[in-house]
Amino acid sequence: MMPLRLVRPPDLEAAGRVLAEHGRRAVVRAGGIDLLDRWKEGIDRPDVVVDLRALLAGPDGPGLASLTADEGHLAAGSLVTLEALAEAELPPAFAAVRQAASSAANPAIRRMATLGGNLLQRPRCWYFRHGDLVCLKKGGARCLAAEGRNRYNAVLGGGPSYIVHPSTLATALALYDGDVMHAGAEDPAGRIPLADLFVTPDRRLDAEHALRPAQILTAVRLSAPPGLRSGYDAVRERRLYDWPYVEAAAALRVEGGVLRDVRIVLGQVAPVPWRARAAERRLEGAKATEAAFAEASRLAFEGARPLSDNAGKIAVGRGLVRRLLHRLAEIPLPA
Amino acid sequence: MKKPPATIDGLPAWGPSFRPTVVGRPTDRIDGPAKVAGRAVYTTHVRPPGLLYGAIVRAKVAAGIVEGIDLSPATKMAGVRAAIPLAEPGSRIRFAGQDLAAVAATTPEIARAAAAAVEVRIAPAPFVVDLDAALADGAPRVHEANVAERRTEGDDPTEAAAKGTVVGNVRPLPAFVTGDVERALDRADVVFDATYETPVVTHCALEPHALTVAWDGDDAMTVWASTQSIFSVRDEMAEVFGLAPAKVTVICEHLGGGFGAKFGASAPGSRMGYAAGALAREAKAPVRLVLDRREEQEVTGHRPSSRQRVRLGATRDGSLVAIDVLAHGSAGIGTGAGVGRNAAHIYTRCPNRRVRAHDVFTHAGPGTAMRAPGHPQGAFALELALDELAAHLGKDPLDLRIAHDPHPVRRKEYEIGRERFSWDARRAAAKAAREEGARIRTGAGVAASIWGDFGRARVARVTVTVARDGSVAVRNGVQDIGGGIATVLAQVVAEVLHRDVADVTVAYGRSTLGRSVGSGGSQTTSSVAPAARVAAEKAKQALFEAVAEAVGVPAAAVAFDGPSIRAGNRVLSFAEACAFLDDDGIEVTGSRGPTASDLPFPFPGGGRAQIGGVQFAAVEVDTWTGEVRCTRITAVHDCGRVMNPKTTESQVAGGIMMGLGYALTEIRHMDPTTGRVLNADLERYKLPGFGELPEIDVHFVPVDTPANATGSVGIGEPATIPTAAAVACAVFDALGVAVRRLPITPDAVLAALSREEEAP
Repeated sequence: MMPLRLVRPPDLEAAGRVLAEHGRRAVVRAGGIDLLDRWKEGIDRPDVVVDLRALLAGPDGPGLASLTADEGHLAAGSLVTLEALAEAELPPAFAAVRQAASSAANPAIRRMATLGGNLLQRPRCWYFRHGDLVCLKKGGARCLAAEGRNRYNAVLGGGPSYIVHPSTLATALALYDGDVMHAGAEDPAGRIPLADLFVTPDRRLDAEHALRPAQILTAVRLSAPPGLRSGYDAVRERRLYDWPYVEAAAALRVEGGVLRDVRIVLGQVAPVPWRARAAERRLEGAKATEAAFAEASRLAFEGARPLSDNAGKIAVGRGLVRRLLHRLAEIPLPA
Repeated sequence: MKKPPATIDGLPAWGPSFRPTVVGRPTDRIDGPAKVAGRAVYTTHVRPPGLLYGAIVRAKVAAGIVEGIDLSPATKMAGVRAAIPLAEPGSRIRFAGQDLAAVAATTPEIARAAAAAVEVRIAPAPFVVDLDAALADGAPRVHEANVAERRTEGDDPTEAAAKGTVVGNVRPLPAFVTGDVERALDRADVVFDATYETPVVTHCALEPHALTVAWDGDDAMTVWASTQSIFSVRDEMAEVFGLAPAKVTVICEHLGGGFGAKFGASAPGSRMGYAAGALAREAKAPVRLVLDRREEQEVTGHRPSSRQRVRLGATRDGSLVAIDVLAHGSAGIGTGAGVGRNAAHIYTRCPNRRVRAHDVFTHAGPGTAMRAPGHPQGAFALELALDELAAHLGKDPLDLRIAHDPHPVRRKEYEIGRERFSWDARRAAAKAAREEGARIRTGAGVAASIWGDFGRARVARVTVTVARDGSVAVRNGVQDIGGGIATVLAQVVAEVLHRDVADVTVAYGRSTLGRSVGSGGSQTTSSVAPAARVAAEKAKQALFEAVAEAVGVPAAAVAFDGPSIRAGNRVLSFAEACAFLDDDGIEVTGSRGPTASDLPFPFPGGGRAQIGGVQFAAVEVDTWTGEVRCTRITAVHDCGRVMNPKTTESQVAGGIMMGLGYALTEIRHMDPTTGRVLNADLERYKLPGFGELPEIDVHFVPVDTPANATGSVGIGEPATIPTAAAVACAVFDALGVAVRRLPITPDAVLAALSREEEAP
């Protein structure tokens, strides 16, 4: 039995007060998808649950649920659902956001799941999610995946924990410059750069992001240079309703026959959405050719250090990036 | 050519000249509306008054000795009504999840909290969950003494019992040997030698194991069970609690899947029957036990793993001279890691054949029968090896199979499939794409199954009643595992009594309705349907006698004339005829006799017919990402006379989907350092979904099998045997290099391709 107090705050300020008062004993609920999983798996037992959906009826509701976009900007409240993102008519610059949202989970989950909840969900590592096992992220002495079964764990940026970031949406959002807006008792209108939202386990083990417990993610604002096009793709072991084995998002524009503003982000390969900077550098200012994409896809995993069971992510991820770049730059794929 | 028997169970055979009007017609399942409308009552829906909820305390370590179990923290909790130990000091723990104690409480939440409160002390011991580690010298031993084989109705009844001695963690299974394999390999022009691996996969019935026990005094009980064998539940509960079997009533109206893991009152790795019954007795109230998904994955059985070294010898012109399989597999602490019959009994034109299989014990929950025990593993290794050999010899793998398989039906099935599947065109397209090194490849593969008619004599007792108002009913205690036996019962009775299916009321799923078989070995239809025919024919005879007497003609002058009954010159409607019955109407019971024939081709061991079945698979592979998509399965099967094409086709499609999961997505991951199942849920254990669903083309070859009075043979298991093998063969065709380990995931495909590139 899990007795708990459900708080339905009228506005963000009230929500922030409750969180500040209860500290780590409180959690926020948005779509409730990951929270319910964590309860069921016995890895999270909050005393107080602050239901952010109650805010929708109050003065902060419109902002939290709003989704606006033009050629170069996208702003989404944290309670915007994945379904809304998947069905929105977004300009080509933000196609990756729509494609990522529409490929996550299944329609029932996308209807409930929110942007904020998706970005701040906890890792899906099977050691972390096992109620009887105490891994490094749960206060244990070591990362059980590092010496155990790690098929789905990190090949890049890992250590001392080798989780991968679970958010498909984060993979797409990391293509863009932008800010994350947050509220809370200490700092009611705070913001941090999107690039600083996710933190690697060498900096923090108790969470995968830079927000403090009493801070509430309220919105994400993205910008894109004119003419940018973007895309997202994933390889799954099961084609529908599965966590990607590897995923990738890319953005670029073509100017005078060469590629500009190239961004490539890998997902499910590192504890944070992983910018493939060597590959980006290889393509920046280069002509879009089959050879350039083949080389960039190899460079995308530069520095990868696979564990015992997950080297396959590198080979699969390279093929995925290569295919995505072809599609994005409209260079015909070989048969 | 043997002659088919003229009569079976005293009745004219439903042979080639029989022209049925109901049997063999695509018929909606009679329980369909209740299921889709949510009216169907499953085990977990039943709530007898005062129901309590049970929970089982399970070991969290994979090996150790129990030092103490203290139930008192649980019994002190408000709402807890009973607590019992399921282990005692000194009990050995052999797998994580093993039973330690059980509690019953007024809510499921209290029961879970109480189970968590039970204090257990275990002195941990070294354990081994990995096949290689279990085979190593000095590995922790799983069993100290020889192991009793646990068999269920899900196991092949013709399989010899293992008598081998356990050495370390290895126990040999009975070997199959014909000819001299070593000598033939020595002399062969070509020897192909490769090792294949299959993972542990689990049954994943959507409805978990569930049991509700309500005592009725000290000597009787009612048990609602999610089971594929109502009478094995009855017999186990009677034995465990010392009751007369007739005093145990077992009910399973609807079943949400079994696949081999739901025989008996207990799960393969958990004494659920005893626990629920003992808790209910102590609490003096009904107790329900429902396992959660983690328990399902850890303690309720699985298909054992396998590692199979396959050696094939052939002449240069493509004649197989030797088939040799050396297999090791693990059913955890359990037995039964054999690899079926493809290698031993399909390609019998190869004169030298040998299969040596071994159980390797590991500290994991016990394996159990899972849809064609041993067969999908064996089919995968042998059929893929055949394709690799065929490629080496430059032969068409379909031709190679036909050349070595004497079964007349399977040979015909290959030819039917060749046409329906456009085998030659697909193979040519695959070859062209392979040779030009295309990014997207296609491939085509084919594989075979072997199964027997395991219908059982004199077990099922089916009762047919005809009332004076003309109503017709049939009853039998059989459970419907999903194959649609209730509908078949109605069809058979309707056929004999010239009624519509809708005119026949069917009662089933309850032990008081007459003895029946368990749904294992694909035997339900061929055991129950003939008994129904015998009973219906008796009812017909009794009705005709009543009509003859009333009308004043000899019984021989009474006959059906369409839906009417002709008696001499009079034509009566069925209702008019029934009006001649007395108030008690007709109530007759029938059962079937021994298998009458092994026509058209015997199953090894004698006395039963062998059925065939071949499946063709087409795949598309992205050689950049390793993604494999199965685009089409053409399944050509035989199961004697098909009783209901609609449900039979559906059952084959289900077997194919299960096979696709085995081929592409499913694997149970065990942690070597903690001995726990890491993906004990349906999120990380990946059942195939709609994304994996190919076009499925099911074709039945009607076969006159005069084995029983309906000519029906089961199909549940053969339907899943060749699927994964055919997919693996198709992937090999696409890539030119085989993926020799299941499941064929994207990384496995790319690894195979890169090995090929590195090869000289």
